[in-house]
Amino acid sequence: MIVTKSWLNEWIDLTNITTEDLCKTLNAIGLEVDSVTSYDIPKKIIFGRVIECEKHPDADKLNVCQVDIGSSVRQIVCGASNVRAGLDVVVATIGATMPSGLVIKPVKLRGVSSEGMICSASEIGLPDFSPGIMELDSSIGSFELGEELHSNFIFSDDVIEIELTANRGDCLSINGVARDLSAAYDRPLRKHKRDEDDDNRKGIGRLLHVNHEKDLDVNLNYRVLELKDLKLPLIMKLRLAQIGEERDTDIDALLLYTTHMSGVILRAYSYAFFCEENDVIAKVNLKEDENGFASIASETIASVVGVNQEDVSRVTYDEGTILLEASYIPPDIISKKMALTKLEAGPDYYRTSRGSEPDLCVGIADGLELIQAYSSSSIFTGSIGVGSVYDNTLISLTKQDVDETIGADISKVTIGKILKNLGFDMSRSSADNFVVGVPRYRHDIVNKQDIIEEIVRMVGIDNIPSKAFVFTEENKLQDDYFSYKKKSVFRHRAASCGFFESIHFVFDEKRVLEKFGFATIKEELELLNPIVQTLDTLRTTLMTGLLKAASLNVKSGYKQVKLFEIGSIFNADREESLKMAMLFSGDKEKESLRNTGKPQKIDFAMFSQKVSDIIGAFDLRETTTEHSLSHIYQAAEIVVNDEVIGELFRVHPEVEKEYDLDVTFICEIDFEKIPFALKTAKKSSKYQSSNRDLSIIIPQDMKFETIKSVIDKNASKELINFYPVDKYSDENLGDKVSLSLRFILQSDDKTLEEEDITSSMDTILNALDKELGIGLR
Amino acid sequence: MVTLLKEWYEKIKEAQSVESLEEIRISVFGKKGVLAIEFAKMKTAPNEEKAQIAKDLNTHKSGLMNEFTARKITLQTLELQEAMKAEAIDVSLYSTSSQAGGLHPVMETMDRIVEYFSSMNFAVKTGNMVEDDFNNFEALNLPKYHPARDMQDTFYFKDELLLRTHTSPVQIRTMMQTQPPIRMIAPGAVFRRDYDLTHTPMFHQVEGLLVDEAGKVSFANLKYILEDFLKYMFGDIQVRFRPSFFPFTEPSAEVDISCVFCQGKGCRVCSKTGWLEVLGCGIVDPNVFEAVKYKNVSGYAFGLGVERFAMLIHQIGDLRSLFEGDIKLLEQFQ
Repeated sequence: MIVTKSWLNEWIDLTNITTEDLCKTLNAIGLEVDSVTSYDIPKKIIFGRVIECEKHPDADKLNVCQVDIGSSVRQIVCGASNVRAGLDVVVATIGATMPSGLVIKPVKLRGVSSEGMICSASEIGLPDFSPGIMELDSSIGSFELGEELHSNFIFSDDVIEIELTANRGDCLSINGVARDLSAAYDRPLRKHKRDEDDDNRKGIGRLLHVNHEKDLDVNLNYRVLELKDLKLPLIMKLRLAQIGEERDTDIDALLLYTTHMSGVILRAYSYAFFCEENDVIAKVNLKEDENGFASIASETIASVVGVNQEDVSRVTYDEGTILLEASYIPPDIISKKMALTKLEAGPDYYRTSRGSEPDLCVGIADGLELIQAYSSSSIFTGSIGVGSVYDNTLISLTKQDVDETIGADISKVTIGKILKNLGFDMSRSSADNFVVGVPRYRHDIVNKQDIIEEIVRMVGIDNIPSKAFVFTEENKLQDDYFSYKKKSVFRHRAASCGFFESIHFVFDEKRVLEKFGFATIKEELELLNPIVQTLDTLRTTLMTGLLKAASLNVKSGYKQVKLFEIGSIFNADREESLKMAMLFSGDKEKESLRNTGKPQKIDFAMFSQKVSDIIGAFDLRETTTEHSLSHIYQAAEIVVNDEVIGELFRVHPEVEKEYDLDVTFICEIDFEKIPFALKTAKKSSKYQSSNRDLSIIIPQDMKFETIKSVIDKNASKELINFYPVDKYSDENLGDKVSLSLRFILQSDDKTLEEEDITSSMDTILNALDKELGIGLR
Repeated sequence: MVTLLKEWYEKIKEAQSVESLEEIRISVFGKKGVLAIEFAKMKTAPNEEKAQIAKDLNTHKSGLMNEFTARKITLQTLELQEAMKAEAIDVSLYSTSSQAGGLHPVMETMDRIVEYFSSMNFAVKTGNMVEDDFNNFEALNLPKYHPARDMQDTFYFKDELLLRTHTSPVQIRTMMQTQPPIRMIAPGAVFRRDYDLTHTPMFHQVEGLLVDEAGKVSFANLKYILEDFLKYMFGDIQVRFRPSFFPFTEPSAEVDISCVFCQGKGCRVCSKTGWLEVLGCGIVDPNVFEAVKYKNVSGYAFGLGVERFAMLIHQIGDLRSLFEGDIKLLEQFQ
């Protein structure tokens, strides 16, 4: 909603209120000021009158004008086609600095001297609303020739754009904003004319019949007039340009101006549209159309109330009979109908769906007054109205209700005054009880809280003292807090292990997920209205997001990318679960003196080490992933306590190529399955531990997990740990390899003797020989 | 004899290395050293002179030993220094940038918000992203056809479920499962169908809810905690409340802080207003309590966008970069 200060001033006296104060007040009462545009007309730009206008002797398109500027008459050469004698104009005099930076100096134009410039709207910094020079008229109020425009507040106006909340349809007019300001400043609204029905119905009765089938919950009011010589005044053109609106015809522009001012929805119809052939009386039918909307019709539909108007019923002529209609439809009814059946909405729908002004007389009166002022139209007496009488909603509340909700002591006088200024009917209130009659334009107010909100707005939240809440202590560190905490712990760990946390949208591209063989959301559970094709489904993995991010980073020059994410993914049944994924791509470390500027590439050993530094120890088992992101021979499932909790692999070389990546490793883990229980300390042995290294010769393709399971099965209780320390092959070994294992043995009862160790080792070696046919080098 | 020994004093003093000093030691104190020779001579000396000679010799023995020890310490120190000098490195070559990773500024901001409210005895509650119309809209006083639904363009699924447009459904579910009093915050990702320079289809919110006996919770309480919270998050700033409209609260307000970029003087970021909008809040609408079948209660609620907080606190200009895993941005938060 755009208002101007001068326009508001026509509805409420804003004397001694600066624009800054006005904006502060609007913000304080919940009408958020979005922007302020101040039109500051430069000095030395004055009112003048063209008293003579002749063609320039040497230039077809130029005119030589004698312009009365009050103190003297100046000769000014003007190129505008609409300049003529008798016109009141804006003159930039010698020394004036135009908004463009141009300084006005005496000049000669093709030999004729010119002392000043006759200005167009845009030349003095106003919106460009009409071609040629600006033609002044009486609509801007009285002015003296020679007087500076600067002091005329129609020109030097402030345009304020207000961001209205969805409930405040009543403020979609100058009238409505002024009404709120009236309560805020405790100043009365200026009296505005109302178009009360007069007794004489003869005029309109002979020209118009309105039929309606049934009560359609709409209010309508009709007037008939003979339109003639309508000329939009300057003030209307200027203000319509300031609010960024225009219409094809002058009558529609005038009615829009009136609607913006009064809030009442107004339409002009061609009178003939409602007359049957050879008939002299117009017949307007209010009826329900096939979609259940209230429509205005003759043989065919002329308009749908609150939604749009058909072009065939519009007034396209400058002179002739027209039908003027004011309408109101409750916003909840119209928005509900539109949600069920979407019609193409006209420009009024924004107002009607949020609540236009129900007091139709205000709009009709303003509209007719403007038509009379700026045309020689004649208006037929009388009006015809349709609609039900509205009873005010009554809400009762006490001072205690107000004080408890606000948390401050608000006096009864203050409460009463605020509600009265907002136009609420307080006549039924008693000493102990406020009974508030809510006017129809405040359809948003239905309960006590709504009334209290009005009081809060006008009292000003800044005037409410802050008070600490007193409550009973309770342990709040439970379930969801602990999962939040767990996330936080692993995020910190990943960061200290060198990974950067990233967040991606939970959306992904279905085509990509399918291409890599990931599950996707079942068709019947899919997104109905995705925002773009690349985000057309919910992600079923974190890995595609990390790959994309890695690719972007490589493109911006990073040779090493380490990213992680903890986030939700979905399965085909659209069930949400939490995953943690890590990606390591490119160089093992940054180039430095340490690696003589040639760091090695990330490898399986280092990546799995990094991952276990973050999530704790795990076993890796060879696997084949269901998707095709992974390298076929470097893929593992991550096992903790005999449960698979995730997968870890090198990215398939083809995929690396597709994403422009160097060697890249990824893992994805079920976050819930990462062990996070409180630890229990085990009793540790007081006796020294012993190491024993064994090198065994194994076939090249034998997996360590096979050997490991044999050793696990045959380990004595003294064997507390074992792990591979070297893998070696040479010509002598042929197609075998040598695997060195370190065994650590320790007893709880004694320091182990040589024979104890040998016996443990022998048991293992025997088992390896028997079960796998492998043995010492 | 004395002259001979005196020469050795000089030799010790002039020794230039630990090795040459060691040679001198052997020449003086060794089995065949000068002292041993002199002591041996004593056997042939007249008896009455023996005592004096022994005394003189012993004086010189300890004198030479002192000289030797002192010289040895000096030489060892010098040699150690030489050895260390040979190991000198250019430490400035090793100025280093951290190899550590970093937390995402949005998540780190969320952590700080959660930390504040946890310390104020608010419970942390989370919920699913896929929600139904009742919990996301109806129960929050947003019936179908409510114009305020325009404010939150929603992602729908084919089976009429939707992606939550705020974390408020978590509050509804909590209220349905437990009885008042309630003090909770709901942090999490939310979704709106909006994608341009200043909007992303997913962002993060933290919403708070407090419910207690009727008449107990007031707007003044809400003002208190939010003013305190915003000062905790942003430091020394001004806080302003503007009445606003949310279907689920009444009275409602939007909360502004004085612009952190220009200290309220007016700049590009605050559109010359000197204020930045950071929060929405209000007294819980009775229709919401009715939807969850609570009677005789009062409460307040508030909600904020974590990305906006993070961008203001860390002066991050580009919203979209937050969702791209952009290391250029992230490494600044190491």
